[in-house]
Amino acid sequence: MLASQQGRRSTWDRWSGMLFVAPYLLLFVLMLVVPLVIGFRLSLTRGDLFGIREEVGFANYGRLFADPVFIQVIWNTLYFVVLTVPAFAVLGLLLALALNQQSRWAAVLRAIFFASTVLSVTVVTLIWRLVLLPEQGLAAVLANAIGAEPVAFLSSQATAMPAIAVTTIWWGIGLPMVLFLAALQQVPRDLYEAAALDGASRWRTLRSITLPSIKRTMVLVIIVEIILQFQLFGQAQLLTNGGPNNSTRPIVLFIYEAGWKQWQLGYAAAAAQILFAMIAIAAMAQYYVSSRRDAA
Amino acid sequence: MPLRYLAFPLAALAALSACGERDDRTEITVQRFFGACQAEYGDVIDPQEAEGECGIITAMINQFEAENPDIKVVENTVFWPGYDQLTSQIAANGPPDVVTMHSSAIPDYEARDLLEPLGEDLPALGLTADDFTAAARAGVTVDGEVMGIPIDVWAPLWHINLNLFREAGLVDSQGRPIMPRSTEEFLEHADRFVEATGKPYFIQVTTKDLAGPSRIFQVYMMQQGDPVFPDPRHADFDNARGREVLKFMRDVYAGGYSVRDQDYAANVSAFLRGMGGILVDGTWMVGQFDAAAHDPDSPLYQGYAVRPVPMMFDGPPVSLVDGHNWVMPRDSSRTPEERAAALRFLRFFAENDFQWARTGHFPAYRRIIDSAQWQGLPHRDDIAIITEIGQPLPNYVRRQAPIELIVGEEVSAAFTGAKPIDAALRDMERRTNDVLQSF
Repeated sequence: MLASQQGRRSTWDRWSGMLFVAPYLLLFVLMLVVPLVIGFRLSLTRGDLFGIREEVGFANYGRLFADPVFIQVIWNTLYFVVLTVPAFAVLGLLLALALNQQSRWAAVLRAIFFASTVLSVTVVTLIWRLVLLPEQGLAAVLANAIGAEPVAFLSSQATAMPAIAVTTIWWGIGLPMVLFLAALQQVPRDLYEAAALDGASRWRTLRSITLPSIKRTMVLVIIVEIILQFQLFGQAQLLTNGGPNNSTRPIVLFIYEAGWKQWQLGYAAAAAQILFAMIAIAAMAQYYVSSRRDAA
Repeated sequence: MPLRYLAFPLAALAALSACGERDDRTEITVQRFFGACQAEYGDVIDPQEAEGECGIITAMINQFEAENPDIKVVENTVFWPGYDQLTSQIAANGPPDVVTMHSSAIPDYEARDLLEPLGEDLPALGLTADDFTAAARAGVTVDGEVMGIPIDVWAPLWHINLNLFREAGLVDSQGRPIMPRSTEEFLEHADRFVEATGKPYFIQVTTKDLAGPSRIFQVYMMQQGDPVFPDPRHADFDNARGREVLKFMRDVYAGGYSVRDQDYAANVSAFLRGMGGILVDGTWMVGQFDAAAHDPDSPLYQGYAVRPVPMMFDGPPVSLVDGHNWVMPRDSSRTPEERAAALRFLRFFAENDFQWARTGHFPAYRRIIDSAQWQGLPHRDDIAIITEIGQPLPNYVRRQAPIELIVGEEVSAAFTGAKPIDAALRDMERRTNDVLQSF
């Protein structure tokens, strides 16, 4: 009798737990899993926004990997991620360390560094165009002032992507900074007091107390930024439109052009699946590496 | 639930619904590009008082509403060119009643049976297809069917800073600009110009907005005669003609005769600041530059001229043209009254096309081209030849807009030296054919 009561209770507990997660699970399936499946299904077809014309199997994937423009686009995207993600992690942490104080100036500076994050991509690119224009931009004025030749940042293959990366870092640095600030404020003060009593240097304190205490946030920042920066679109479209010579076209811009400009919906969907796989692999790899380090 | 609990909300609802005045007018949705300028022209109902594409079209729509009080026009202004939005609207079964569309985009929508043919409606509009100019008619006709009502025809032009041309001695005895008649003469003039003024002869887009380089390339290809698109599925760029054009464009850039690192906005700004001799831009800029030519503070003061792109190669006289049109997307929910109202709107625009032609675009109607009124507008004499020699790309060529960007990207890579000419031509052709064979 007792066993049967316990069995009923455990079944009830299991199902009541399911009831709590059901609303989110339902939304997750409807808004993420179903579109993902539809997207994959579309990637096996040829058609446009007005209908599927035929099933083509994996032909779209074959076309993509035979397309030199798409191969270049993958490298462009990886290059951008390499340029921005470490910078977000390092600069975000440095800013958070510098501004993790209770002074009025620290509060003002926190607000200033976070302010750019709330701007739209249109405003951000407009501001940076005014900085980067080779004839009348701020960078050109500064170059002329010191007698140097102005650099055409956005029309040189060597500098266009770094210029987009700088724009993006300026725009998005607020988020990692705030995440690191929140983590820093969770580190117990008595650890720092003990380190001070032991005469630990600031570098030693950072290495032995601060960094180990915020490593989960570091992993979070890196994974979030990987996911965000793989999806570069607006900055590249508005600053360079993918040029010069295809050197700044990221995958999302490629997907947009294939799907909306060229009406190749299946082809665009196949590129989107590859982007999904790239983001998933990069984020999982980062998670795996950091989990192994934790276990060791 | 006792009724008294419902009494107050019901009374409030009734009171609210009484606030709105009943509107029995037939409503049509007009979707257009050309920008938004309601703040400046929202109350103007006489197009004569408006300037520029945005001002004139806003005033014309206002005038139509004022003259047709039984029709309510919902004006939906889209970011140029607005096809992403239109495509979404059609896919979601909510298209506008009439919408602006480039001639070069009509074949894409027509091929998917998304537009209503309007040929049978022409008598109701007081029109026949013969009323259109040849270029306008070619722009709206697909497989013999009239798919839209043309608004204008436009073409890339050479806008000229005559003051700098005078400085370089590149004007004839009557003060008209001397145009080159071959690529060799172009380079000779350019050399003379740079030496005399210290400024570049040629202002062209070199980065980001690559429709410009694409059009220059297409014009030079057309000037050599043979078709660039021999059939609907193939482009023919990778040949001796293409190499000759790209070599010439490369010579212009490498010789220091062209501006560098400029997008479209920088181009227009450079020309208005008197930073170069020739700007390649469309008909839509004639009005603005002519206004600058009357402004004593402008570097263009009493020194602006405009010409068709001169013949630089040995083919038949030709100019690349495109056009703006009104089209009517298919919509099964459109009532006969709404359709009739939309047709009245189209008739109004056809009757008042002269006002639109003040923008600098070519009128779509022969009677306006032939009128003293249009011929009396500034600079029209100098470019009117385009109404005879203008040719759009063949209307069997679909996806013209993305192809234009592909061609522009490869052309600019070639003439700026980022890519060898042979590789650019090969990639241009491969990428274009890939798009043409994708549907």
